[in-house]
Amino acid sequence: MVPLLKRLGLNTYNVDKKPHIEVNTDICINCKDKPCTLSCPAGTYEALPDGRIAVHYERCLECGGALVICPFGAIKFRFPEGGISYRYG
Amino acid sequence: MSFDADVIIVGGGLSGLSAGITAVREGLNVILLERGDYSGAKNVSGGRMYIHALKKLIPDALEKAPLERPITKETFEIFCGNRKITFSFEEKDKKNSFSVLRAKFDRWLASEAENLGLLISYSTLVLNAYREGGGITLETNRGTLKAPLIIDASGVTSVVFRMLGLRKFTPDKWMLGVKEIIKADVNLPENEGEVRTIVGEIKGVKGGGFVYTNKDTLSVGMAVTFDSLPKSEFPAKDLVEAFKERIEIEGEILEYSAHAIPYYGFKNLPPLYDKNLIAAGDSAGFLINDGFTIRGMDLAIGSGMIAGLASKKIVESRNFSNTEIYYEMLKDSFVLKHLELAYNRFELINSPSTFSTYPEILCNVLSDMFTVEENRDTLINDVIYRLKEKGIPLSQVVRDLWKAVK
Repeated sequence: MVPLLKRLGLNTYNVDKKPHIEVNTDICINCKDKPCTLSCPAGTYEALPDGRIAVHYERCLECGGALVICPFGAIKFRFPEGGISYRYG
Repeated sequence: MSFDADVIIVGGGLSGLSAGITAVREGLNVILLERGDYSGAKNVSGGRMYIHALKKLIPDALEKAPLERPITKETFEIFCGNRKITFSFEEKDKKNSFSVLRAKFDRWLASEAENLGLLISYSTLVLNAYREGGGITLETNRGTLKAPLIIDASGVTSVVFRMLGLRKFTPDKWMLGVKEIIKADVNLPENEGEVRTIVGEIKGVKGGGFVYTNKDTLSVGMAVTFDSLPKSEFPAKDLVEAFKERIEIEGEILEYSAHAIPYYGFKNLPPLYDKNLIAAGDSAGFLINDGFTIRGMDLAIGSGMIAGLASKKIVESRNFSNTEIYYEMLKDSFVLKHLELAYNRFELINSPSTFSTYPEILCNVLSDMFTVEENRDTLINDVIYRLKEKGIPLSQVVRDLWKAVK
């Protein structure tokens, strides 16, 4: 398997200064399954040993999945001003 | 109140550009807002377009558009464990659908639109939307714009409808599409191309995989419902890589992309219009999956064109509450007619037995058929036995078959 970061590195990113994804990590502590870590195609959400979530917003592929993947409404997502540009699509 | 345009279109993909081209041809004053640096920068698609609608929008598109290959061969592969059912259909010289790469295609369509006089504002992101003075005000990163009529062509996340509180999304009504573009020596003549649809190779997911043949690349990916992703044997970030390994496709990766896909079906469509506002393409939830054809792009172009024509009627009537005009026109068009026609099979595909139980039963029956031993039963008895084994009454099979052909 080609590592995720290598694949993401093929895209052009213009990362916003302010994160376009905000996560209420206090809610995540009580979430056992953490579906966001399994459902994000960019590995944006990473489970930390303390039960919280780290958010790598700069990896985001802007699929929109953040609007439906958290069953507890802990993720706030808006589209970034810059973000990703695809060469092939 | 003064407005900046008759119509503002949000989103410069297929539906937005088709709406823009049509509205400009109708003589309307239109602004299109695109959040990417260019049209197609944010677009991801499996990569096959049925071109009937495109030919209506741009009559000489076949000569001009950057299409990849005409699809002349369809292959279906259904996996059940170590067994596989495959069937193919070939039709040489067919030019009904083409593989496309959207970053190229949309950029071309945007240049066509600009040549016709459509004003496109790139790198323009809508941050907020609210009603004011008989129209809708859009706050963007480049300032505020107002219009009495907005066409939301922003894709599955329906930006304007969402900001006005007119959308509720659920993970079962959205699919995640993940895709890689792979460099490949395609050993096919220029006028031939293949689409492979693959079901059952990754366990736990509701959906399937695809391989589209482009000029000198392959588009390889999967489309699976968001609610099934946590149950998949692979996390979403590894899904395409695992799929590629299973179907033994290798090659240099040129791009990795992902996008949400609407998956509503005719009877579950979200609101398509509201006061001062209409939705086209993915924003309206226009996707057809009847098991054999998966279509969104022709519906996007078709609904975009209707949105452009409806805009003219709405602007002329000066009654911006009467956006039902758009819905009435959609009902008369192939867009809603085809969505309705496909609904029975769409429902069938979504029943739990279709993707898991039926392929297994079929594999079992075929396996029995091709296994010669001393004990052998008639085919019909074997079918009944294999169905019984899974607890499916024959009457349900007949009902499902009827749904599939109706």
